[in-house]
Amino acid sequence: MTESNQSMTKTSPLQGLLSAFIPGLGQFVAGLRARGFYIFATVFTMGGLSVWTIAQRARFPDYGLSLGIFLRLSVQAAALLLFLLAAQRLLTRFILHDPVAQTFSGYGVGILYVLAVTYLTQSFLSLAAAGVETNQYHATTAVFAAAAMAALWIWQIGDAARVGGLSSQQPKPSIGSLIFIACVIIFILGYNITGINLPKAISEYQDTAILLPRMFWPWRNAFEYTQEFEEATQKIQAPCPAGDEGPPANSPDPDVAWVSATPTCGDLSERPITGGLMLGTELTITGGNFTPGQVVDILWNNPIGNAFRPRGMGPTEITIDLDGGFSTQLNIPDAVISASTAVGAQIHTLVVRQSSEEVFTGRLSQDMILALELMLQTIMIGLMATFFGIILAFPVSFLAARNLMAPVVSPLNRIVGSGIGLIAGVWAGGIITGQIANRLGGLAEAPIQIFLAGIFAVGMLGLLGFQSIGTLFTRLTNSLGAQGTGKVLTSLVLAALAAAPGYLLGIGFSRGIRSIVLGDEVAALQESTYAIAGALLLALVAALYGMLRRSGEGVKIGMAIYTVSRTIMNIVRSIEPLIWAIVASIWVGLGPFAGTMALTVHTIAALGKLYSEAIESIDQGPLEALQATGANRLQTIVYAVVPQILPPFISFTIYRWDINVRLSTIIGLVGGGGIGFVLIQWMRLYQYENVGIAVWLITITVATLDYVSSTIRERFV
Amino acid sequence: MLKVENLTHIYPDGTVALRDVSFEVPDGEFLGIIGLSGSGKSTLLRCINRLLDPTEGKVIWNGVDLTELDQADLRKSRREIGMIFQHFNLVRRSSVMTNVLSGRLGYTAPSWSLINRFSRKDREKAVAVLERMGISNKAYNRADELSGGQQQRVGIARALMQDPKMILADEPVASLDPVLAHSILGALETLNKEDKITVLCSLHFLDLVQRYATRVVGLRDGRLVYSGSKEDVGKLSDQRFKDIYGEEAQRLDTD
Ligand SMILES: Nc1ncnc2c1ncn2[C@@H]1O[C@H](COP(=O)(O)OP(=O)(O)OP(=O)(O)O)[C@@H](O)[C@H]1O
Ligand SMILES: [Mg+2]
Repeated sequence: MTESNQSMTKTSPLQGLLSAFIPGLGQFVAGLRARGFYIFATVFTMGGLSVWTIAQRARFPDYGLSLGIFLRLSVQAAALLLFLLAAQRLLTRFILHDPVAQTFSGYGVGILYVLAVTYLTQSFLSLAAAGVETNQYHATTAVFAAAAMAALWIWQIGDAARVGGLSSQQPKPSIGSLIFIACVIIFILGYNITGINLPKAISEYQDTAILLPRMFWPWRNAFEYTQEFEEATQKIQAPCPAGDEGPPANSPDPDVAWVSATPTCGDLSERPITGGLMLGTELTITGGNFTPGQVVDILWNNPIGNAFRPRGMGPTEITIDLDGGFSTQLNIPDAVISASTAVGAQIHTLVVRQSSEEVFTGRLSQDMILALELMLQTIMIGLMATFFGIILAFPVSFLAARNLMAPVVSPLNRIVGSGIGLIAGVWAGGIITGQIANRLGGLAEAPIQIFLAGIFAVGMLGLLGFQSIGTLFTRLTNSLGAQGTGKVLTSLVLAALAAAPGYLLGIGFSRGIRSIVLGDEVAALQESTYAIAGALLLALVAALYGMLRRSGEGVKIGMAIYTVSRTIMNIVRSIEPLIWAIVASIWVGLGPFAGTMALTVHTIAALGKLYSEAIESIDQGPLEALQATGANRLQTIVYAVVPQILPPFISFTIYRWDINVRLSTIIGLVGGGGIGFVLIQWMRLYQYENVGIAVWLITITVATLDYVSSTIRERFV
Repeated sequence: MLKVENLTHIYPDGTVALRDVSFEVPDGEFLGIIGLSGSGKSTLLRCINRLLDPTEGKVIWNGVDLTELDQADLRKSRREIGMIFQHFNLVRRSSVMTNVLSGRLGYTAPSWSLINRFSRKDREKAVAVLERMGISNKAYNRADELSGGQQQRVGIARALMQDPKMILADEPVASLDPVLAHSILGALETLNKEDKITVLCSLHFLDLVQRYATRVVGLRDGRLVYSGSKEDVGKLSDQRFKDIYGEEAQRLDTD
């Protein structure tokens, strides 16, 4: 707000006053209705968001409290800001005349405001201290949101005063400041809601520092190493047998490594329930004939055969001295089975183990082999999903291409006849396939050939019915007359066709909506009534539609098919592959088949859309030219559409294959097979080397694929 | 014989492109269709083979009203009516041979077309037609590798594959230079004279009309405003032509 600004415009205090009480009202009154409305909506949205966030994040029990706190903070901040602005105004009026200095004093106000507001945090914490636990982090957010809100409020008061004084010829000032302050508030709240905590990212870095190197360079785990052990043992009995000394102590052996202990029996350490530790008998251990300078492990093998390092009882590693011997003290450790409940002589074994250097065998480790196998599986999941996706998306994309479907207009009697034929054909095909499969011991047992033949039969019979019954019915109704019996017949059959979905809708209505209101039992009781009512209703609507149509007018069946297939595709596509994988793994069980299925479903929808858009952008000319030669629809597609769409189709397909392999690496996280499956397991077992191996394999595969696919695509585009 | 009766076409957006147009074309005529841009020439030609469905009126082709036919019968009638286009409308990525053969689709069983198969007779016919159009050496080039004039010859070859009794040509030379224009129209004239194929051809230039057409109809704002025989066309003065055509009309001067 500089001097020059002020000399340009008259301000109007009235509008400013109005806006001070209701944001945007001044602007509204000044005739800038949209501006007033935007300001009102922005202030209230931002305020609501802030209060809500404070209540949620700072865990206040009620909104009233956070609203109160927010308002008090806002008023404090507003007072502060007004003070600073007034100070700056005085400064620029009487002392600073240089425009550069004036501008910098403006920045100074901003910086001072931010600094001063930070001190309000203390005030927030004391306000909130009314029995509510909160922390500095959320307090800062609340305070800054309130400060920004105060700025917004003051800005719009000033804005109202300014626009109130504008004459209608003058250009309206922009609402850039409004958008800017709103963005600041959203940023502050977003920072808090997403839990961004930069100090934490640095202070907790050490935890990752241990595991990151293991993940970055995990290759030691990729190979198998052999290691030889030499062990010397000494039996120890605990507790000591009555009046005896326990097992004999070993005597030095001139040829092999040996270990001996005195005494060879004693009491176990105990950990009383009351806490603490009572050390057991102290043993003196000596040994010899080990490799000088080597580190040996000291292990304790209890009577049930569990070997462990006796931590806290003495050294668990020891360096052999130059003449191959050692000597140390060790307390007998505690045991799960306490001395009082043990039955029979409890013989423990003290083990001193000397390990040789690890020897590289050149073989891959089991984990590496598993990772490689699963990586291959991953790539195959992506490939198969792409393959099935292409096959199914291809025909679907033609149904979803507007330019091909829009001209498809057919007389009602043809559609009705074809519809009946299609249903009858598919039904007959299903029955035949079912019969054959049953002879062979049920569908699940039937070989895949039967399954495919079944699909083929269903398709062919459906097509046959579609064509032949469609033609027959059209001829029949045409001969009966377009206005008379033919029309009646068509309408009746259409009504019969519509009854089926009506029946289902009736059941759905009863099971769904009515059961919510009436409870399951009542709804189930009247289910059939509603089903019949639904069937009758739809049949009636269909019959009326058939009768009231102007004859000769075609039905835009193409656009109907286009709309339905586009809608389905959009819905399927907007559901993430991971979610499809969850659905599929419930359906066919965990494993790669579920992953393939999930990716296939998503691929069909995604490719279908890309394909159909490619079809929509073709040159229509050749299409018309072929139509004009008397070619039928199928022929036009094969000769005029396919050659044009082949390059984009290939390009999209490779692109999708690329995406599918990427997706198949993570689809295992939810049980869809592939490397993601073990990746998540290894992660949970803290086997970070193996995690590293999996991540490396994924990275290499994806990078390679990226390169290959972009190279291939370059050729075709 | 083609008889157009009271043809009206209204586009879905309400544009009335043809209003009550009626005329007759005896077999073997070369009918020139003239008219300003936007006067409805393309609409008329496309209504004749029902690339557009007329809103009202009849198109009677050898005694059959094309507007009444169902899709199957319409396809049979379309086989007898070839069409060539200003922008050739070839499948640019396909070979010349495939483009020409596709003119035969109306006679081919759809299931054969699915696997891209044509009979031996069709292939021989295609070679002969290309020979006749003088581009047999380009048979296996991609269509977009040919020059404009050559592409239009492929377009005519495709129409000839249909064994047409009539050819509809929508400004066939508008995107070609004057020399090529004569060569293409010459080819159409030959077909008209030798093969007795009726030709309906929309044209822009008066001297082309006078040189090639045996009859002329003129359209203005979708109405038929002129109809004349060969003699009338010969006598058609520049001024009268401009009346029909508007001031932008001009002669195409080639020597
Ligand atoms: N698809 C369409 N939708 C709506 N109006 C159209 C459409 N195609 C053409 N028209 C209109 O119909 C009228 C006749 O168009 P038409 O293409 O038949 O003219 P033309 O004589 O062939 O012109 P030109 O010499 O420029 O090719 C024009 O007013 C045009 O704007
Ligand atoms: Mg035109």
